[in-house]
Amino acid sequence: MGLMEQVSMPQPVKFLLNWGRKYSLWVMNFGLACCAIEFIAASTSVHDFIRLGVIPFAHGPRQADLLVVAGTLTDKMAPALKRVYDQMPEPKYVISFGSCSNCGGPYWDSYSVTKGVDQIVPVDVYVPGCPPRPEALLHGIIKLQEKIGREDIREKWKVGITGAPAAR
Amino acid sequence: MPLPPAEIGRRLQAQFGQDVLSSEEQHGHAVLTVTPEKYVEISRFLRDDPDLGFDYFDFLTSVDYTPKGSGFEIVYHVHSTTNNQDARVKLDLPAEEPHAPSLHDVWAGANWFERETWEMFGIAFDGHPHLVKLELPEQFEGHPLRKDFVLMTREAKPWPGAVEGEEVDDE
Repeated sequence: MGLMEQVSMPQPVKFLLNWGRKYSLWVMNFGLACCAIEFIAASTSVHDFIRLGVIPFAHGPRQADLLVVAGTLTDKMAPALKRVYDQMPEPKYVISFGSCSNCGGPYWDSYSVTKGVDQIVPVDVYVPGCPPRPEALLHGIIKLQEKIGREDIREKWKVGITGAPAAR
Repeated sequence: MPLPPAEIGRRLQAQFGQDVLSSEEQHGHAVLTVTPEKYVEISRFLRDDPDLGFDYFDFLTSVDYTPKGSGFEIVYHVHSTTNNQDARVKLDLPAEEPHAPSLHDVWAGANWFERETWEMFGIAFDGHPHLVKLELPEQFEGHPLRKDFVLMTREAKPWPGAVEGEEVDDE
């Protein structure tokens, strides 16, 4: 951290670091509803997001870089999502997968559903659909990788990965 | 062998007389409306009588009729695995402070359904051993399945389609 704060890295080094990070996203599937099935379909041989460097074998949130919230988050489940997110090490990214986790979706007027997981955790990429096809998740992953590729890791460390003040 | 639904009603009326307020047939099931006084006793009879033998508690819920001027109605559905027959029992409750006897010691399966009905409709079950929230978060206020429950999102943005129950012209 010390060196990173002092020295601006040359462009090739930045590129190399971001390149390494964006193609090694260990993913945590926070599957809550039917969207989780689409997520699983995206991980299997037909769509196979491992070819994009997304590795679905994170043993838990502490080993994960990417959190995919797939499904309907209820107010009762929301503290669990926050806890999982807090357990993940920086730098971490969140994809909100499907209409329910984007905004409540068909449950927009429900008494029990959280209308948008971005109320609980910061979201990097929203994938629309009900449920989105696995291709949509692949597209969302590519969008996230583009975002990671543009990142300046020095700026990130300063403000915290998600724009919020760096925690702890 | 399953009894005809009308025969189930007849047997209950023979046993309990005026406490079985009505008996009808719906979808091949006996539907019985009973009085609160004999609610538990009738339930026990449904379970224990060998020709009825309703040993499987399927579900218990409530219907909110307060917008129509009456109160709540408790509905429970039981099935007999020995006689392969079904029955629904209904119990009318007032709109103000509705409460009903608990069936947890007749069918153990009623326990969680009564908790759910309690939190969703605010109907108290007298004698229930553990009447605490089952599905809602602990800090949740109100009874969300009541018709008068205010959905905050709908206060901010009215329902964009037709009003519920409104006639829609199919062009």
